[in-house]
Amino acid sequence: MVTSLSYREKSLYASLAAELVVYCPYFFQHQQNSVNKVAGMIIAIIVLQVILQSVIAALTRSRVTDERDRLIELRGYRAGYLTLASLMVIGLGMLWFHATVGHLRLDSRMVGLHFLSVFFGMLVIADITKTATQIVTYRRAI
Amino acid sequence: MPAIRNQIRDLRAMREMTQQELADRVGVTRQTVIAIEQDKYSPSLETAFKVALVLGVPLEQCFQYDPRGKR
Repeated sequence: MVTSLSYREKSLYASLAAELVVYCPYFFQHQQNSVNKVAGMIIAIIVLQVILQSVIAALTRSRVTDERDRLIELRGYRAGYLTLASLMVIGLGMLWFHATVGHLRLDSRMVGLHFLSVFFGMLVIADITKTATQIVTYRRAI
Repeated sequence: MPAIRNQIRDLRAMREMTQQELADRVGVTRQTVIAIEQDKYSPSLETAFKVALVLGVPLEQCFQYDPRGKR
């Protein structure tokens, strides 16, 4: 099955694997919001992506990309953008709601760190949505 | 029924050309040739002309447009 995949598809599967391996432990295991952990996660995803993409590039003979690859890439970015925009609206709405009813003091440091984590989570979800959409679109052969 | 249909599979078979050979000569991936042959992807005008050129037939013999088809 792997040999029937194009270079772009293999690259997308590697990206999705790297995203899940790095992001899942970060969001499901960490107990405390910390800038250092966010920085560590960013470095981990970059290192893992470089390693995986290099291996795939080395093992794939034909690295041709064409108009269909670009169309699928655009569809993925559109899905990712719509996800990010929707989550941002919901997140900002919740922030505004909690601040209005008095549950939150916006000048608190912990609130800042909490929302940094929340907005970073939105970016991650949008990124995974983009990659997953591209994989699904390839599998549907469009 | 798709709006744009094609005879690429038959034309290719008549020339004993593989999907990979056609893809290489047109400059697309084999997966794109498969998607075009299955009527799941409509290529750009430039790619359609290249396919017809490689197969040595006029464009309308390769691709047909059905206005009642699904886009």
